[in-house]
Parts: sequence; structure tokens; C-alpha cells
Amino acid sequence: MFKKITLLHLLFLCSSFSWSQAVFLDNDSIENSLDEVIISGTKTIRTVSSLPLNASVIKKDAIEKTNATRLSDVINEELGLITVSDFGGAEGIQMQGLDSEYTLVLLDNQPLVGRLAGTLDLNRISVGNIKQIEIVRGPSSSLYGNNAFAGVINIITEEPSEGFNGYLSSTYETHKTLDNSINLNYKKKKFYGSVFFNNYSSDGYDLIEDDGLNTVNKFNTNTLQIKFGQNISESLKVKINARYYAQLIDNIAPNSLSGETFTAEDNINLIVSHESDKLKTDLEIYFTSYFGDEFLDDDQGNRFSESFYDQILFKPEIKTVYKVNNQKELVFGLGYKYESLNRTYFDLKPKQKSPFIYFQYDFNPNDKVNLIFGGRFDKYKEYKSQISPKFSGIYKIGDNESIKVSAGYGYKTPDFRQLYFNFSNSTIGYSVIGYNVVEDVLNQLINEGQIANIIVPIDEFEEPLSPESSFGLNVGYNRDLNEKINMSVNVFNNSAKNLIDYRVIANKTNGQNVFSYYNVNNVSTFGFDIKTKFKTDNYLNFTLGYQLLYAFDLDARNAFENGEIFARLTPTSPAFRLKKSDYFGLYNRSRHMGVFKVNYNNLEKKFSANLRLRYRSKYGLFDSNSNNYLDKYDTFVKGHFTTNISLNKKINSKTMVSGGIENIFNYLDTENISSLSGRIYYLRIKHNLN
Amino acid sequence: MKTIKLLVLSIMLISFFNCEDDGPNLQDIQSVSIEDLYAPQEGGQGQPISGTFARFDFETGLQTESETEWDVAFRGTSIIVNGGTSLGTTDEPERTGDAGVYIFDGTMAEMVAVETSLIIQDSSSGYAIQSGSGNGWYTYAGPPTYLINPTPGKILVFRTRDGKYAKMEILSYYLGAPENPDAFSDPSRYFTFNYVYQPNEGVTDFN
Repeated sequence: MFKKITLLHLLFLCSSFSWSQAVFLDNDSIENSLDEVIISGTKTIRTVSSLPLNASVIKKDAIEKTNATRLSDVINEELGLITVSDFGGAEGIQMQGLDSEYTLVLLDNQPLVGRLAGTLDLNRISVGNIKQIEIVRGPSSSLYGNNAFAGVINIITEEPSEGFNGYLSSTYETHKTLDNSINLNYKKKKFYGSVFFNNYSSDGYDLIEDDGLNTVNKFNTNTLQIKFGQNISESLKVKINARYYAQLIDNIAPNSLSGETFTAEDNINLIVSHESDKLKTDLEIYFTSYFGDEFLDDDQGNRFSESFYDQILFKPEIKTVYKVNNQKELVFGLGYKYESLNRTYFDLKPKQKSPFIYFQYDFNPNDKVNLIFGGRFDKYKEYKSQISPKFSGIYKIGDNESIKVSAGYGYKTPDFRQLYFNFSNSTIGYSVIGYNVVEDVLNQLINEGQIANIIVPIDEFEEPLSPESSFGLNVGYNRDLNEKINMSVNVFNNSAKNLIDYRVIANKTNGQNVFSYYNVNNVSTFGFDIKTKFKTDNYLNFTLGYQLLYAFDLDARNAFENGEIFARLTPTSPAFRLKKSDYFGLYNRSRHMGVFKVNYNNLEKKFSANLRLRYRSKYGLFDSNSNNYLDKYDTFVKGHFTTNISLNKKINSKTMVSGGIENIFNYLDTENISSLSGRIYYLRIKHNLN
Repeated sequence: MKTIKLLVLSIMLISFFNCEDDGPNLQDIQSVSIEDLYAPQEGGQGQPISGTFARFDFETGLQTESETEWDVAFRGTSIIVNGGTSLGTTDEPERTGDAGVYIFDGTMAEMVAVETSLIIQDSSSGYAIQSGSGNGWYTYAGPPTYLINPTPGKILVFRTRDGKYAKMEILSYYLGAPENPDAFSDPSRYFTFNYVYQPNEGVTDFN
């Protein structure tokens, strides 16, 4: 049944998030206070323009003006980022052509857990109190360790400014979607406190009628976030951040089965910061848990199935920033990660314990160059310990022109599911066994007479599964052509190996297969993106961006090259051999993507409007011609545009009214795109409390 | 005189070399298309499987009820040959001939000569054409189509029960071999396939 965690965890009010006070900015950007600031790149405060990494920031203002209620809506409008759903419905981020399980998602600097099928569902994060979203592309395991393969997304929530302020906001959207938030902030002298509460609910929608199912089921979500900070002395500060999230979704399955899915999450972070002239130390103690419970009853009310998921992470970490002088800054950190998971379909409760240590040296050899070297060591007992180095550098060609390069290593350890799963589908009859439990479970199935023959001998599972790893390279060029126009070009390349996939390891006597996981894939993604921002006058500004992406499985490419792959033009015509150029690449990747945004801002009239267009070229979702690869002859999802528009008007000094339409042209692809439900109208009111 | 002798000699020589060696009478290969051979099965999906196999004879190009005059048989997605030993499933026929099969990777046109050393027969531990998606002749697509598709580039190469050879390409598992099959509305277990039969005993090429 449902676990009532509410009171227990709310009482446990400890958590922390802090802006490091020691600042390492180059002089130009101090003058230009509009320069965006980012901490995720280096775990110190840097400006985006001076950072040698492929990084960007989405600021609160931009998010507000689009009236987004879900994080996936915000992310989807960034060039090169796409949200993709896994088969469990969780929406994750695809970055530089790498799958959503390879992007680390942080909330206020700390990781979230609960990836049931590998993806972290973005929609667990409310948009209402976001201060900014920081995106760092390229492997970042040198600072963050596990999972920071494709990159890092850090969602930073607001911290109060002096005095009392707050707001109330209410949004109503098509499909009876309601989003209500209240935010109260107070800061005085040495103390601050803030409370944020959000309720988000919807009736959902159904794109395919008469299948007895809904595309998106009715749901209700609550988020509560509380922050406190106290300056204990001139140099000592304590901060606590706590967050509680709960969601209830209707669960409807074929054969008149229905039930509910309940998930609850809490995060608690305590930070103690000490700052002296050159040294700033932060001790962060972080705890998070994610709990999910799902059940289905038949139409008589009898329990048909139930499964649960219970994961916790505990991570103390201490970080010291030593500012040698204005040209040199050293970061040193160490910590410990303890993670455990208890879930249905696991025979045991696995734990992962890993201590880690990292360092970073950030220095300017002269006033045109900034270099950053760093590395991290993560110790693991179950697999090879990981060393993740990273190097980046930026060269200022002129006041308005720079070129940067970054190269680094990222990894992802096999997740608990790939190691410990023990699941048999009761209707079709196939089984999925985690790598580490193959011997036990397979022997058990053999004793039960369920195995017809073994394809992969059991001794092949003696060597532990290797972590997946990637080497990424990003080269970028940025130029302000004049005060009104900025352009940037970024070229990227990621070489990933040992990616884990599943394969048949045995045949069962019922004619079905037994699957397990193995390290197999070598994937290469490369491409470039080009972006330009220009202002015509004080009212209008435009953004135009384009990304080209190639994402290949290298072994697949070889198979095509060797003439091993065949296809048919129609299902009943004779097969023919395919060439290397017939291989399209990985599933769900578009070769071309583009964004176009127009912002109109009239301060005198207190009115703003914006138009956002997004383009995605064709992509393949599955192998339709049964040759196991995505080739030219498969069926593709058509390339398409989505267009959104928003209008915002301040009706008095404290109140803003907004309205808009998402997917104005009502683009639908009910077979393939479950996130587009036609035109969405919305109306929003936001009222500031002071 | 000399010229005429030379001419006659030439003509005789030319005719001699142009004379075709008929040898023993060689029959032509037969290229046949079979549509909707029904191969029903009882059980499956976790339940015990049973039902008569649909037997086929390359020589006649027809389905047969005979217990001996068959080369290959179908039931659901299972394909067996009249050679080797039975796996022992319910209603499975005894093997009365010396048929065998192997899977060739390539197109129908590329399969020109049988490699007899690769031929295997059904046994008590498994069929020569392995069961399970991707292992034998088909691939189960899974979501969202859930179709059983004959894997492109797989040619089944048979030795018949009496030592002749045939190559087969399966084109569809659904009734009427539709261009866009629907796993939920098109009846399955109807085999549509092309084959080429070499009626000359012991001849391993398909010219």
C-alpha cells in the first residue's frame, strides 16, 4: 500500500545549497553585470562567456516569459536538447545524440535518484521556483563522477533577496491542467528562509481511441521546498534545503485492469560553509530517497499486480576552493556515496558504496588564456575504479571573440537493474535476468525444466560487467559581431564504448527467450551546432539555431559495410543486400534540428510577447523491416515543426496576466509522438506579494 | 578438291564441337511461389503446444497428409525437416527421410551452390531451424507493431528426404501476405514463400 512518508521527512529539515562566495571572474565580465554566471562547469562561480566549456544558461526571465509549467517544455526549446520518453513514460534528455540515461540531472547541485528504466523523469522537477538552468555539454565525470557522460543539467532554485517577497501563480491549460504555486521569501541580515509549494494536476489525454488506454493518465503532483540559511559568524554559514515531492497517477492497463501509481521523493541537504581570505570550504551532507508503488486491480477489485521501488542515496562531500591569486584557483574535494535499492523483481537489495576524490586547477597563464585541468577518482568494489580526467582551455582572440576546446572522460556504472533484475513476463513468457544473478537464476530455471538450450555459456558471466564510458571533445568559437549580434559555433564528438545492451542468453522450452545484459556497443556521435542571437532595437530580439547530428553504432556500421545486412522493399518482396550508406544510425535521433525564437519586450507598456519554433527532421523509432538496424528503408517519423506563442501583460505593479498557445498549428502524430496532444491553450495569473 | 575436303573437315569439326552432350536427361529447376500455407498450432504463449504439422513436399509443390512423402513441415513459427530425430513435442511426426537444412545469409539470387557440410537435422535437443526471434527464420518485432517478420537475408537451404536440394525464402507469416501487415487484425500462421527446387538428385547448384 502507500507509504506515508510525509511527516517523517518533513520533520527532517536539513539540507543545503550554496553559492560559493569566492569568485573567479575575468575583469571584463565584472563590468558587464548582465553576463551569465554558471557554477556547474567548475563547481566555482564563473561567467559563461569566459568558461572554456560548451555550456549555456537558461535564466528565470526566459522561462517565465514562455509560461512553461513543465521542465521538459523548457528543455525542448534549447538547441540540441530533446526530451525523449522511455517505455516507462519517464521523460529524459538526449544531449549530443547520447541517450537520456547518460545525462546527469542535478537539483540545486545534488543528484536525484529513481531511474526505473534508466531515465530520470524531468517532470518531477517543478518550474515555479527555478532561478536558472545550467547546461554543460561534454563528459563531466571529472567533477561529478557517475552518470555525467553526455553532460550535466543543474536546476538551481531561487534564494531570497533582502526583505520579504513572494508570489502566487495560477495557470489553467487545455486538458484541465492546473498549476498553482506559492512562494514566500524572507531575508534579513543574517538569516533567510523560503517556502515554495506547487500543485500540478491534469486530466491527461488520449490520442488513440478505443484501445482502452490513455496516452497520458490523470495525475496529481505536489512539491514542497523549504530553505533556511543562517550566518553564524562573519566566516561561517549554515544552510538547509529540503524538498518533498509526491505524485499520484491513474494506472490503466488492458483487460479492464486499473489502479494507481504513487511516487514520493525527498531531498535533504545540509551545507556548512567556511570562508576566509583565500580559502572557502563547503561541507555538504545530502540525503535523497525515491519511493514508488504501483498496483493494478481487476474489475472485481481483486489485486492483480503490485510492484514497488525504493531507492536511497546518502552523500557527504567536502570541497575546498583555494584562490591562490586572481589568476589561479584550486579546487579539491572528497566524499562518499552510499546508494541502495529495494524493488520488486530483485532477489536481493543491492548497495553501492564508493568514496571519491577530485581536484581542479583553474588558471590564466596570461590575460588571453584560461586553462582548466581536473580529474576525479571514484573507487568501486564491484567494478573497475574510475579515473576521469578533463582538460579545457579558452583563448580570447579579441575583446569579442574567443575560441575554446574541452576534452574529457565520462562513465556510467551498470545500474542495479542491469545487474540484479529477475523478471519473467507471465503472458508472453520471456525472462530478463540481471548480469550478476545469471548463474543463480538460470540454474533455477534449468532445475524447473524451463530451459531448452543455453546460447551463452554461464562462465561468460564471470567477469564483471564493465562501466560504460565515453571520451568527448567539444570545440567552440564565439563572437560578438557588434552590440547587437552574437554568434557561436560548436563542434562535438563523443566516442562511447562498452555500452550495455541486452541479448538472448538461452531459449526456453516455451519457445521464448531469456535475456540478459552485456557490454557491446561502440557508439560515435558527432556534429556541430551554430547559433546566433540578434537584437534589432530595444524591443525585439531573435535567436536562430541549427544542429547537425550523426549518431552511429560502430559495429552496425561495419556490418553494413561488410554486406551483412539485408532489407525488403515491401514485406513480401525478395530481400537484397544493403550498403554502408544505407545505415541511418541510432534510433530517435534527428539528423537536423533547429530553433527560432522571437522576443518582443516593451517595458513602457509592460507587455511582452514571444514566438518559438522548433524543428526536428525525420527519425526512426524502431526497426520496421526486421533486420535489427535502422536503415534507409525503415519507416520514419516525419520531420516536423512545433510552434508556441506567449503574451504577457502587467495589469498593475504587482500582477501579470499571461496567455498563449502551444503547438499553434495543431501538429499531431498520434502513432509516434505521445507528447503532442494538439493545440494547448493556457491562461496564467501571477501576483507578487509586495 | 583440297578446298572441299578442308571445308567438309571444318564443317565436321565445327559440328562436332557444337554438338551438345545430352548425357542423361537433366530436368529443369523449378521456381515456385506458395501462398498461404496454413500452419495452425494449439497452445503456445506459456501453454503446452500441440497440433498437426502442415507437411510440404518439394517434388509435388503441394501440401501433403502423407507420413513419409514430405520434406519440410510447419506449425506456428516452428519449421521441421523430415530428417534426424523428433524433439518429442505433442503431435510431432516421426522422421522418415534424410532431409536436412541450413540457413544461408544472403539473397535468393546469391544462393547458387549448396554447402552440404553445413546441413543439419532436427534432434532431440532442438530443431535444425532454431526457435525464438532472431535465431531462425523470423524476427519478432515487439512493440509497437508486434509482428513476426521473416528476417531479410535468410535463405533456408534444404536437402529433401531423398537427396535433392531446394532453397526457400519466406516472405510472410500473415494471410494474404499483405504489404502492411497488422498483427492484431491479419490472421497469422499462413506461410507465403518462394522456393527453387533442383529435381536432379545429387546436383547441388541451382543453375
